[in-house]
Amino acid sequence: MNCTRRNFLIGGSTTLFLSGYFPKISFASMQKKNLIIISLRGGMDGLTAVPVIGDKRLKKLRKKLILEDVLNLNSDFGLHPKLEIFHKLWQKNQAAFVHATNIPYTGRSHFDGQNLMETGAHIPYKEKTGWLGRGLLASNIIGKGLAISLPMPLLLRGVPQNNNFFPSPDFVETKLIDQIYNEFKGEHNELIKSTLDTIRKRPLSMQIATDSDDRKKLALEAAKQLKDQSGPRVAVFDLDGFDTHAAQGGVDGAHADELEEVNKIVTILHENLGQAFDNTLILTLTEFGRTIKQNGGYGTEHGYGSAILMAGGLLKKSQVYTDWPGLKKKELFEGRDLNSTIDSRAVYNSAMSVCFNQDPEFLRKEVFWGDELPDLSQDLFKI
Amino acid sequence: MSLNFYRRVAFGLSPNEKPYKDPLNWAINQLDRIPDLLWPGTIPTEKDLRKKYGEWVYGDREVLRKKFKNDKHAYRKAKDELRIKTGERYFELNEHAIRHFQTKYSKQPVFERFWLFWGNHFAISEKDFLAEFSTGPYQREIIRPNMVKTFEEMVQSVTTSWCMIHHLDNSESFGPNSKKGMEWGETINENHARELLELHTVSPNAGYTQEDVIQLAYIMTGWAHKWDRKNLETGDIWFDQEMHQKGDKIVLGVKYKNDAKRELAKVIHDLATHPICIKFVSTKLCKHFITDEPTEEMIDPVIEAWNKSNGSLIEIHKAVITQAYKYNEITHKFHPPEIWLMQLSRMFDLNIPLSFEKMNYTFKSKPNNRQRQLSWILREIGHSPYRAKQPNGWSDLEVDWVSPELLLRRFWFASVELPMLVKSGNRSHGFILSCLKNNFEDHKNMASLIDNFRFGTSDYDLGQKYGVICNLPGVLKI
Repeated sequence: MNCTRRNFLIGGSTTLFLSGYFPKISFASMQKKNLIIISLRGGMDGLTAVPVIGDKRLKKLRKKLILEDVLNLNSDFGLHPKLEIFHKLWQKNQAAFVHATNIPYTGRSHFDGQNLMETGAHIPYKEKTGWLGRGLLASNIIGKGLAISLPMPLLLRGVPQNNNFFPSPDFVETKLIDQIYNEFKGEHNELIKSTLDTIRKRPLSMQIATDSDDRKKLALEAAKQLKDQSGPRVAVFDLDGFDTHAAQGGVDGAHADELEEVNKIVTILHENLGQAFDNTLILTLTEFGRTIKQNGGYGTEHGYGSAILMAGGLLKKSQVYTDWPGLKKKELFEGRDLNSTIDSRAVYNSAMSVCFNQDPEFLRKEVFWGDELPDLSQDLFKI
Repeated sequence: MSLNFYRRVAFGLSPNEKPYKDPLNWAINQLDRIPDLLWPGTIPTEKDLRKKYGEWVYGDREVLRKKFKNDKHAYRKAKDELRIKTGERYFELNEHAIRHFQTKYSKQPVFERFWLFWGNHFAISEKDFLAEFSTGPYQREIIRPNMVKTFEEMVQSVTTSWCMIHHLDNSESFGPNSKKGMEWGETINENHARELLELHTVSPNAGYTQEDVIQLAYIMTGWAHKWDRKNLETGDIWFDQEMHQKGDKIVLGVKYKNDAKRELAKVIHDLATHPICIKFVSTKLCKHFITDEPTEEMIDPVIEAWNKSNGSLIEIHKAVITQAYKYNEITHKFHPPEIWLMQLSRMFDLNIPLSFEKMNYTFKSKPNNRQRQLSWILREIGHSPYRAKQPNGWSDLEVDWVSPELLLRRFWFASVELPMLVKSGNRSHGFILSCLKNNFEDHKNMASLIDNFRFGTSDYDLGQKYGVICNLPGVLKI
């Protein structure tokens, strides 16, 4: 068990008590809850992933990008056919979507946008830590972050002792690690020594060599780790390629290829987490959505509002949660983009509060500088 | 003086160098003039490469996207062909070769370390196709020539360079009361102004406000690429009066009278000679060469040299080296992966970069694996120099470079890849011992750790040996 009584008391009891919030769980039955974030870099098109059904204006503006064979969600929204796993989980109340949402950033630059989606801040490059790292730190959950990438993503920075998994193309012999380990002595070598400790304690399955371009293998290992009651509580995946300025396509285009990757990761996590899937939340994260109108290359340009794809047993129910702004010209952001009516950081803050057993009010202050972020946990998640 | 000084301020000693009698003078004498680039292969100009950049974006954006709008497979294929034709897949590899050839063979390796430092201080992070076409020539043509001038001159050159302006979006910054700003309803983009303050000069320690950022952005409006239909965003930098915000501006309490293009040089002068800027950059230099947390006693003489010489980089560099020498025995410094690789390459005379003949490129097919090798290694050890994730460049601090996978990647490189880079004449145990002796005080202890494999010269044996000695505490750190 990761969240020991001592941790729990240090981690938040005062604030929890003061705010009158107390999670509805007993210490004895406290199951580890996992939060998995999949970063979709390049600008994921919410209207391709979760298209609004029967909107004439959309059909007119996106003649070449309109989807056939949309999977049915409800009377208003469909689902891209490549997102099969979400459709399957939808039937079991284990998939949901937040639509017309984005971080409060309207600048349309990938670099600024990606920086802000990870820091959760308002000014690009100003903050050097990520909202997830700060959330873990505020919750006193140390050494439980797992990044499926070589550099430590900005999103996870701000809390020490994160692990990452992105194996080298070839195997490193254990005896080599041991031999080097034994040579590290002295105070100034403590950081390397403790990191070598982490390496030596890694389960055998993490001591492999693999083709790190093979996302399937990485997802499989992440699932294995997350399933372990004493393993990581947070995992971060990184996908790019959503910036489809050309040949974006519908059912089978460039954007569909990327959604298929998301589908693959979630499928593997679902299949391999087993029971732990019930105590898991998977959320996507992107820097912005894309323009309503297709461009001359049958792609779309950088936009504003997008969608968050969610899966996992900690979801309250299957739903498309949205305050739909409409797609008429005057309803669009700057006359061209789906507007964002929900600050996506409210979703992430609520998700952290559920997975880290924290008061959302406390996290909002610790992580997002007290920004106005409504608590959505009652609406979206099981608490 | 310990032998580690050669790694603290340079890349260690190659097998045909011997420790110098007066290491401090050896180091200081390298800083007065700019060494030639030694790479015998192609060294294209910034302008040529910018033209290629233009051909690539024009060909993709204006031609292929429209031509293959219904067929993603045909589009991808045509795009790949265009990549090859314009060198989009090649020029970065060539730039890495130029850079590593220099750090391996330069007679002024200390100068080269400062070159790496300034290129990273004024970093170009991964954006659009800068790494592919522009960041390398920017290092050679903007950073390098300014290293014997003043800090102020360096900031002036960097701030008006095509690469930095494109990197930080200044071409998209319009004075709201300028002619074009009014006509098109456009306003400023603060990006470049913010980084000029925060990263390049005074740092947040100066306590500037959002209003200061806006006012500086006003001053910078108009410095933009000259746009045209064919070159798109790759035209030369000029000052476009029609984008420039009219009126006086105030930055950090100083008033800059409405003076068109001359405003920028004035504000840069004030920023680059600001005491907080001098302290910030001096501290950063000490962090790079001395230790992650330098003390005031370490930094003060650098500040003094800066003030005394009015910001002469030659004098500043000499002061830094003097301090690095003074504190060599009592401080430790962790080296990021690229510098570590450069040191291994120089100390053990590894077979990287590839020879210039083999780097020759025909623009007819994808670069081959050998041509991609160095860049691939850099990526695998987590330090592709021209692809920092953010404009603050690559970190200089140990805490940012010590993660499980980043350490394992070094173990992997040294034990698996490195043996394949050992030249055929250098495979004997004696060769390793002599390199160790040349570079490490405790070479005997190091030798004892690999003694079991003293008779082995196979790739496996070399992997056992290099795997250990390249990752010892005294090698990862000095």
